[in-house]
Amino acid sequence: MEADEKALVEAAQQDPARFAAIYDAHFARIYAFIARRVRDRAAAEDLTAEVFRHALAGIRQFEWRGVPFAAWLYRIAANEIADHMKRRAREQTEIQAEEPTGGELEIVEHRAALHRLVDRLPADQRRVIVMRFAEERSTREIATEIGRSEGAVKQLQWRALQTLRAQMGRPA
Amino acid sequence: MTERNQFDRLDAVIDAILDGRVMPIVDGDLAALALVAADLRDLPDPQFRDRLRRELLKENDMTTTMTATVQHMIPCYLIEGAAGMIEFLEKTFDAEVLQSHASPEGKVMYAEVKVGDSTIELGDANEQWTAKAAPLHVYIPDVDAVYARALAAGATSIYEPMQQPYGDREAGVTDPFGIEWYLATRLEGGPRPPGFGTVTAGFRTAGAPKLLEFLVDAFGAVEVDRTSGPSGEIRHAEIRLGATMIELSEAHGQWGPTKGAYHVIVDDCDAMYERALRAGATSVAPPETKPYGERSAAVDDPFGNQWYIAMKIA
Repeated sequence: MEADEKALVEAAQQDPARFAAIYDAHFARIYAFIARRVRDRAAAEDLTAEVFRHALAGIRQFEWRGVPFAAWLYRIAANEIADHMKRRAREQTEIQAEEPTGGELEIVEHRAALHRLVDRLPADQRRVIVMRFAEERSTREIATEIGRSEGAVKQLQWRALQTLRAQMGRPA
Repeated sequence: MTERNQFDRLDAVIDAILDGRVMPIVDGDLAALALVAADLRDLPDPQFRDRLRRELLKENDMTTTMTATVQHMIPCYLIEGAAGMIEFLEKTFDAEVLQSHASPEGKVMYAEVKVGDSTIELGDANEQWTAKAAPLHVYIPDVDAVYARALAAGATSIYEPMQQPYGDREAGVTDPFGIEWYLATRLEGGPRPPGFGTVTAGFRTAGAPKLLEFLVDAFGAVEVDRTSGPSGEIRHAEIRLGATMIELSEAHGQWGPTKGAYHVIVDDCDAMYERALRAGATSVAPPETKPYGERSAAVDDPFGNQWYIAMKIA
């Protein structure tokens, strides 16, 4: 696992075209971390974009020091979040850039794993989940858009959550 | 509580979660699903994810990705009842099963079958990998005999063997799995047209020039020959993907659009995957190293075809 990750990062350092593999591996966790802290979709998207732009620009400078590559990305994300908070704060306040640790890290990694599983749902379930949560649409709106009954959409939604719950191995 | 009632209650809980309201939960099963729903509240928009990915790659101007090349392509059949199709191929074409792997439930997970000098891959469709059945064109020494064998094996006739103006004696059948087979014997100029194997995959789509453009941009396809119809549409085009010839035509009348799945063997999986995404494909699965000696990825093209991009690794 670590050897795999090291190979990915080294490949991207030699040829930034390989950065896409790093993006695919870490997008979910970085987005989940930022979204949890900023609680605003548009800001979460802007900050996530900034994190990966910085990471891409700085990938050649990254050095292995025995910590996972994700820690480096979390550090960049924490800095971006702190800058964002400072810009938004009306008064001059001290805002520390804090990387996720302990319970927060666990929550973020758990959510990122869940969000990745959404991609693996059967197509009709995935569509409903994406429209419902990422696009924040009602089941009625989804039903109209995909040409199914509202009941059918609610049933797909139930099934999808059951599948996700089973795959996450949550205790019943 | 009825099932429907449960679906409605979960929906109300999700409304509350999305609005940031607190909702009392009583039922155990519902509570567990509400926890999952709460964790989905920050689900990223996949369109944002894909757009950012494209932007990052563009900013990086990855000229290196353009160098990835396709070595050859194998048509894949994900159908209901793959075992039956294997039997059909054996009965009709004396096909040889190179390998076949069954799931514990007896489904065909993956099979490789040889017809003449060509390989076809098969598997049972499932929820994730849905049924696709694009037409195939086969050159055999005796079309009349193979046509009769196909019908005996359960196929239905599209048309009986007949002489075609392009120098083939040709027949059409639909096998019991809904796949169209165009059976042909070359009457002049050798056993097969130049570049063709025994089996050739056919693409029929609405807007064939767009699909051709995609194949060129994504996989470096080369147009070898084209016959146009009266209004300039592609009647028939021969296109090379690495060492493999494919055929393309504009869907029309009873010949509706078809969708297929294809395994492209490339020299650089990651680079080819990037190239396909930039050509307009959408990601199904990013590149991943598999335990069976392959690094592979999957994408959908905008025409409903699915592409497994694979690189053999030692």
